[in-house]
Amino acid sequence: MRPLIGITTYVEPASWLVWQDLPTAFIPQAYVEAVTQAGGRAVLLPPDDLDADVLRVLDGLILSGGADLDPGLYGEAPGPLTVSRPERDSAEMLLARSALEADLPVLGVCRGMQVLAVAAGGTLHQHLPDVLGHEKHRPAPGVYGEHEARFTPGSRIAGLMGDDLRIHCYHHQGVAEAGTLTVTGRTEDGLIEAVENAAHRFVLGVQWHPEVVRDRRLFGALVQAAS
Amino acid sequence: MRRPLIGLTAYAQQVQYGNNDLMAGMLPMTYVRAVHATGGRAVLITPDDPGTDVLESLDGIMFAGGDDVDPAHWGAERHPATEVDAARDASELQLMRAALEMDLPVLGVCRGMQVMAVVAGGSLHQHLPDLVGHANHQAKSGTDPLAADAASYGRHDVVIEPGSAAHDLLGSRLTVNSFHHQSVDDPGSFTATGWCPDDRVVEIIEDPGHSYALGVQWHPERTTDLRVFAALVEAAARRAGIGSYERIAA
Repeated sequence: MRPLIGITTYVEPASWLVWQDLPTAFIPQAYVEAVTQAGGRAVLLPPDDLDADVLRVLDGLILSGGADLDPGLYGEAPGPLTVSRPERDSAEMLLARSALEADLPVLGVCRGMQVLAVAAGGTLHQHLPDVLGHEKHRPAPGVYGEHEARFTPGSRIAGLMGDDLRIHCYHHQGVAEAGTLTVTGRTEDGLIEAVENAAHRFVLGVQWHPEVVRDRRLFGALVQAAS
Repeated sequence: MRRPLIGLTAYAQQVQYGNNDLMAGMLPMTYVRAVHATGGRAVLITPDDPGTDVLESLDGIMFAGGDDVDPAHWGAERHPATEVDAARDASELQLMRAALEMDLPVLGVCRGMQVMAVVAGGSLHQHLPDLVGHANHQAKSGTDPLAADAASYGRHDVVIEPGSAAHDLLGSRLTVNSFHHQSVDDPGSFTATGWCPDDRVVEIIEDPGHSYALGVQWHPERTTDLRVFAALVEAAARRAGIGSYERIAA
């Protein structure tokens, strides 16, 4: 039996074939392929905040990308460009906290890393161009910003990434304070790109999108930790 | 007390939302909400060739609506109006076979009922208008044929065989919504227990040899009548030995 990896989903009005704007749970298929290629079996977790019992059957959890977190979760008022999805927020905060408590292997991607940081008591920058003075982390709609990341020697992410440090970013928010997590990666502008917690079996958050290249280094490490 | 875990088969489909256009693993939230409203916890099962191991983790499974099953799976030539979903066929035919074999509670909705029939050795009508001479089973997408002000198009009655499991669950007659152009011809080892009275199109199949194996041709998840979902969740709870769902025998 392959390790079962849960992936949190988006919920948005979506259209396909003859169907228009139906509220739909979905995830870019790239995440599913990345898990399958790494030897895991993906199941998608639509938002649900009644309990986190689904973790009982999971061997690992991926907190996926998506819209902004409600700044109320880290004690701030929403900025003018912050767009959040309350249904996902409550479900994913519950899953993240419960997974950490159960020491389930967790990979947070983009928004997912931000969920991990906020669950760990951290805070976010609500609009990076206001902080960094550039838009290189989301250059244009649908265009990934390419960066070379710098990783802390000896960290999990440094070991996984090896010599190829290229990353694909697409976000307008970022982690300001990582709470109880350790920051182990940044871009050249100093922005936090990777967080981890060595006290757990596997807790890794990355601000970029490793699923775009089905990055075997990261998804393979998650599936291995989940085995 | 944990909730029964119900797998829902999902699409791998090109979708559009906002300014985005992407290949996604996806399912309309109506299915998810139907499971949550009846006491289950839904997870989505994307089409995945390598195997059926995911079933070990589930208490029940629902096969969702979607495109047509490839007629090659029951040995027929493809009708010009047939649009197959090869990825879902490959995945769902093996999931259905394995789920029935291990007696996992199974609900088939629309395409899901058709997958049931094909796995059971049956066959489908590929294009109903050829058979019944009208397109009343295929409501316009995005419409609600059961809405108070809707035209009768896409809405019809179902009559149910007395003594069947479907009859215990739904009674002798109900009105349903309808969004399909194919239908079950031969239910294979399943038994047809519900029909559209106007044209005898098969609307329900079941197998009393299983703890819960029911297929419906309509879309209960788009209505407020979620009895077939409640029964799936209840059967899943019984299988999982979750106490509060145990019925006391009279």
